[in-house]
Amino acid sequence: MTKPVISRESFSARIWRKTLAGVGVKFGFAWVALLVFCAVFAPFLANSMPLLMSRDGVISAPVLEYLSVEDAWILTSFFIALAVYRLKVGGGKQILLFLLGSALAAVLVNSFVKPPVLVIYDDFRSTAYTQVDWKIMPPIPYAPVDYLRDLGSKGLEAPFTTEGHTHWMGTEENGADVLSRMIHACRISLSIGLIASGIALAIGIVVGGLMGYFSGIVDMLGMRLVEIFEDIPTLFLLLTFVAFFGRSLYMMMVIIGVTGWSGYARYVRQEFLKLRNQDYVQAAVASGLPLTSILFRHMLSNGVAPLLVAVSFGVAGAILSEATLSFLGLGVVDAPSWGAMLDQAVKSSTFNWWMAVFPGGSIFMTVFAYNLIGEAFRDAIDPRLSDKAGVKS
Amino acid sequence: MLTYLLRRELLMIPTLLGITVLVFSVMAMSPGGISAQTLIGGMDMKPQEKQALLDYYNKRYGLDQPAPVQYLRWLNNVSPIGFVTDAQGQRGEFSFSKGMDLGTSFQYGRPVADILAERIPITLLLNLVTLPFTYIIAIMVGMKAATQRGSAFDVGAGVSMLALWSIPTMLAGVLLLGFFANIQHFQWFPTAGISSREAQDMPFLPHWDAGGFVRGFLLDRIWHLILPVICLSYGGFAALAKLTRTSILENLHADYARTARAKGLAENDVLWKHVFRNSLLPLITVSAGLLPSLLAGSLIVENIFSINGMGQLAVEAVKGRDRELVLSITWISGFLTLIGYLIADFCYTLADPRVSYD
Repeated sequence: MTKPVISRESFSARIWRKTLAGVGVKFGFAWVALLVFCAVFAPFLANSMPLLMSRDGVISAPVLEYLSVEDAWILTSFFIALAVYRLKVGGGKQILLFLLGSALAAVLVNSFVKPPVLVIYDDFRSTAYTQVDWKIMPPIPYAPVDYLRDLGSKGLEAPFTTEGHTHWMGTEENGADVLSRMIHACRISLSIGLIASGIALAIGIVVGGLMGYFSGIVDMLGMRLVEIFEDIPTLFLLLTFVAFFGRSLYMMMVIIGVTGWSGYARYVRQEFLKLRNQDYVQAAVASGLPLTSILFRHMLSNGVAPLLVAVSFGVAGAILSEATLSFLGLGVVDAPSWGAMLDQAVKSSTFNWWMAVFPGGSIFMTVFAYNLIGEAFRDAIDPRLSDKAGVKS
Repeated sequence: MLTYLLRRELLMIPTLLGITVLVFSVMAMSPGGISAQTLIGGMDMKPQEKQALLDYYNKRYGLDQPAPVQYLRWLNNVSPIGFVTDAQGQRGEFSFSKGMDLGTSFQYGRPVADILAERIPITLLLNLVTLPFTYIIAIMVGMKAATQRGSAFDVGAGVSMLALWSIPTMLAGVLLLGFFANIQHFQWFPTAGISSREAQDMPFLPHWDAGGFVRGFLLDRIWHLILPVICLSYGGFAALAKLTRTSILENLHADYARTARAKGLAENDVLWKHVFRNSLLPLITVSAGLLPSLLAGSLIVENIFSINGMGQLAVEAVKGRDRELVLSITWISGFLTLIGYLIADFCYTLADPRVSYD
């Protein structure tokens, strides 16, 4: 007989430990971390202007001068997130602090950062920037919207075709560097994935929670609503929404969120139907707690662990949705996007392999990474499943 | 059973109505909305002609009226029972046999029903060819992985199925098209369409004649379908194979399987006659969810391989803000999905006699 092991490890700590045990999930987190790094430091990784240069003894940092409001906000938010993570306060408070901090940063950045309205990239290759004592260029010396007109770019060139300027991943149809665009596109993918599935999750939890808690007529009406959103293939629904509501990035996030909540709602409903008859819920009802407290403080915290699985698959789905829309030509105009770049792979009957392999590959890797994370979460949360799969706990 | 089916069909009505209300309100709320600017051939028309067409659509669809009125009018036109309307949009008497009128496409200037009648069979063909492939491969892989649990095949299949599942359809489509249909690489398959022009005049089956080998209509069609079907099926069979594996593993060590083995049944018989049959239920449940994803998948695949199906039509319709087409397409795809769920429920009872709906 085996001895029972008494462990002081909390539930969430155990889930984390089990999740991180696999090899695949480590790769998944590493890839996502790489994306975050690229998204935050994009202007320093790929830009046309020098990071630092000295001209006639005066040292300047052109990158900083040309930093856009968005860039500055993302950078400050990233450092606020780091600082909040180091603080010793509860998880909920950390999130609140971070949101407050980044909102404050948004206000400050909006009022203080004033980048030049017009950026002429050709200037950075003129004598003012080339005849210097010394300069440090970013690793990829091309901005995502630097169309290399002064270098006589013909667009859509395979990697390493032209002498003189190196494009690791070739150029796209307007002549911009593909690698640079890919780095800046991390932002769109990451933010869409997180915010859209956040919106979907919020709607799903509220609708599903109400359905599961009240059941009866509320459940029936709610189920019809869920069915409506489920029965139209999501892509059709998404296409309709996007085509009729314009194509700004924020609109896309909202739209992908609004069309993607039905799965979460079903999930939460099921959990809540199971939970509503438990003693502690009955006790909470009997002590006259307000509904929001019963639903979100008591029931949700007990049903949230399995939801993590759905969320990590959901993020993958949202990223895929954005890429698909951009691929079909309904994405954000003029912003670098992996999906839109993939669309240029087959243009006018020539096959540009670099436009398929690199952007397509990164869509695949991102989706794969999130799926691996979701899979690992599921195995960690449901030991029955993981035992069956032959994974040791 | 019959009452169950009837009840299910009655429950479909509010859902279908809800779908149209949702899509209609999206279009009504959109900035810009549906206006005469989106009508066909607006550029090369004389002002009077344009005005006449605008007047016609205003009368026919009440485009100048508030959205709820427009919606009711549309609903009346579409539903098989309702008020008869003439070409001027005047309301006649109530009728039970007026038939459905899906309206005229703003963009193409043709009846929506005609356009859909051309496009739907192509999409259905694509999906119906894909389904058996998906299931056969998924069951083979899942079965092998389950019986050889923990082996190299099992582990390899587990990872590669997740990887396959993560490959976006568009990436697969573009790569296949680029490498296997393009002149630059291997030009083994056609790049577009689902049949070549010459094939229309060919006899159905392949044969030899004076000029040499003739592909025939059938072989030509298959040749055109190979790449699109690969694109449509790999995602499905990756997900299904994982499901088959868990489901079979669950049953492989059940008591009845051990009894069957103890009786001296061959392992193959135990596997296919006992375990497999009992593992079917989850596969059937998923099949219902497979249909909407196939429809959405064909949207991308049809765009990549230039197949004139419903998916391509959907993209054109939303890009052109063609209200009548968009409504009909979402409505029909919702209907197909609901039918898919219904069939899945029906198959449930066939696979497991314990399930009944009385």
